[in-house]
Amino acid sequence: MTARPHEEGVKAAGLRLRSLASVMLLLVIWESAARSQLAPPVLLPAFTVVAAELGRIIADGSLASDLALSLYRAFTGLALAGACGILLGMLMARSRVVHWLIDPLVAIGFPSPKIAFLPVFILWFGIESLSKILLVAFACVFPVIIGTYSAARAVHRVLVWSAFSLGTTQHALLTRVILPACYPRIFATLRIALPVALITTFTAEMVAGGGGMGATLVYSQRFFESPTVFAYILVMLGIGLLLDAAVHAFARRYLAWAEE
Amino acid sequence: MRRDPLAHALIRTVPLLLLGMLWQAASSAGLINTAFLPSPATISVALADLLGGGEIGRNIFITLFRAGTGLLLGAVCGIWLGLMMARSLKFRAWVTPIVGGTYSLPKSALIPLFALWFGIGSLTAICAVYLACLLPMTVNTFQGVVSTPKVLTWSAQALGTSERQMLSRIYLRHALPDIFTGLRIALGFSFVLAISSEMIASSSGIGKLVFFYGENGAYDYMFAAIACVIAVAFLCDRAMLAVSGWCLRWHESAANARTA
Amino acid sequence: MRDLIRPKIELRQVAKTYATDRAAVLALRNTDLAVADGEFVSIVGPSGCGKSTLIYIVGGFLPAEGEVLVDGRAITGPGTGRGVVFQEYALFPWLTVRGNIAYGLDRQGVPAVQRNQTVERLIGVIGLQGFEDRFPRELSGGMKQRVAIARTLACEPAILLLDEPFGALDALTREIMQDELLRLWLESRKTVLMVTHDVTEAVYLSNRICVMSARPGRLVEEFRVELDRTKPREEIFLSDAFNRVRNQVWLSVRKQALAAESKNAP
Repeated sequence: MTARPHEEGVKAAGLRLRSLASVMLLLVIWESAARSQLAPPVLLPAFTVVAAELGRIIADGSLASDLALSLYRAFTGLALAGACGILLGMLMARSRVVHWLIDPLVAIGFPSPKIAFLPVFILWFGIESLSKILLVAFACVFPVIIGTYSAARAVHRVLVWSAFSLGTTQHALLTRVILPACYPRIFATLRIALPVALITTFTAEMVAGGGGMGATLVYSQRFFESPTVFAYILVMLGIGLLLDAAVHAFARRYLAWAEE
Repeated sequence: MRRDPLAHALIRTVPLLLLGMLWQAASSAGLINTAFLPSPATISVALADLLGGGEIGRNIFITLFRAGTGLLLGAVCGIWLGLMMARSLKFRAWVTPIVGGTYSLPKSALIPLFALWFGIGSLTAICAVYLACLLPMTVNTFQGVVSTPKVLTWSAQALGTSERQMLSRIYLRHALPDIFTGLRIALGFSFVLAISSEMIASSSGIGKLVFFYGENGAYDYMFAAIACVIAVAFLCDRAMLAVSGWCLRWHESAANARTA
Repeated sequence: MRDLIRPKIELRQVAKTYATDRAAVLALRNTDLAVADGEFVSIVGPSGCGKSTLIYIVGGFLPAEGEVLVDGRAITGPGTGRGVVFQEYALFPWLTVRGNIAYGLDRQGVPAVQRNQTVERLIGVIGLQGFEDRFPRELSGGMKQRVAIARTLACEPAILLLDEPFGALDALTREIMQDELLRLWLESRKTVLMVTHDVTEAVYLSNRICVMSARPGRLVEEFRVELDRTKPREEIFLSDAFNRVRNQVWLSVRKQALAAESKNAP
């Protein structure tokens, strides 16, 4: 650490101030553009109007229920992808046969736009939560597999050898050495997968309905209720920021040992 | 015994062929309900029919046009933004909060907004793709330029590189690997956003086509169309890898270019 | 002269071949070596000659042709009786200093009270009081190697295998660590087999030095070093005996290195 703590604090405060200033500036531009009727109010409602709408949907609980449903779907799917992905990634790292079997599937699956599979999932699992959870899991599992696999392969052999010399059994090696060594990389992968989970959930809801943030968003758009459209977009932005901050805090607390 | 790349590629397809054969066998034996999952044979027939007619070619072209345009615009603007952020501290200070903010927003949430503004034509899709590609290109370009080691720039200056030449000859060259990483990510995004747009608010494109077949119960055609999407996305990704591999043949990691 | 006492470590016709994409590479040629109990043996030689490979084989990490015997019995893999200290990257980054040192004891099921006692003692031995709860990434190179040594010593191995243990450290830290190692060895008289590229280090620490030829490696020359190691470093380094042996070993290694160069020359 080269900067003194006092300097670090001042720099962080300055950054936050500048962020606030940028946001304020954008809001001012938005409000004045809307007020001066540059575009019809249906296309660009004023910020104050949107804020009022936001207050309304928070008060009557409709936002809360939509948000809860979407987040439930996104996180369940992500958890499923995490569990399967880590398992598969580890197995692939351990066994050349497993790697040979699964690798082509991953190589094809990774670049393909998983959203194209949405109609298949709807066909098989309906338009309620199950199809969306499984689609999210499908979309997120590929980066997790790849990340886990590369992390497991990257574990330095010297670390494994030291563990053996200190009395680690083959069985204990996985849980005591390989897995902890991979935590930072796996966490980084899950961190990237989180926005994918959210996007997939919202998009699936927008296309297929079945409740949730995306469904209401599209519904509002079709009926030209633009304040609601804007309000929902702002909420999605807010949720994204909040989750990112939470993830950041988690990493700082539990992965402090990781070398960058 | 030199590793023959062609043989290696062929060996990698074997698990897929095995899977296909297993699928076909299960289908013929009646183990799979073909209403929900047609056999590979049925899908192949539908695929041949699609490829024979002009339908799928036309729609794929439309989707590729939207994705490609958005990707190109997003890449150009993103590289410029990333460069500016790396070179000017003031610019960086103002833009970073905005960039950080948009990271948290699922870009597909803006599709209904763009549909509200621009209707269901290509502009909606191109805008969504553009915004989605902007961020990874900006961030990666910034990272690539900012990480240029001082010893590199000092050596260049000592060897008589002018200020203007520094940009193109040194900074951009050093950032090239990161730029290509960003391009690969943006390519994936471009497909996802283009198809999402088409599913939510469009009357053409491969996304719309897949959905159309689904809604009309022509599931073998639906699967065939999805297979086309997967194939196109895979080939584009491989093409991108090949291009970046050639452009980066000087880079240390060039030996690893063959992986995934 | 046949030694009637069984050697602690014995290598008989040990050889190692690597199969790569292109061809089979012979890393180590038929090697014989005997290390007596309590000896400090160093293996020196030009880069890539296979000296690290040899120590990995003794550690039980790499399979090889020939026999490797410890206490007269063939080894079957890694074991706590042969402690290893590598050059770097060997500490568990997710464990603190305390956690790393306690690791082997934990694996053996040593009860907590006894475990903590041993860990505290070793932290004192390596002089890292106050750093018990730091993570490896917060430590300097020298401190990391101290922890690595303490971690190995916790299991009380009879044999210490050192693979260029100070190779990643700067010159000054290296000198300090060499003195630390010497002190530990003089106290415990464990059997030590060390690989190093630093001839001076080998002469300073060991009582026998084996010189390896270039790849494929073979032990070609041996030197015995008789020094009074209780004397301070300054006295030893300036003594005639030290410098005479060092020059001999240096010349031997240089001869091997030049032979390798001329083999590779067009």
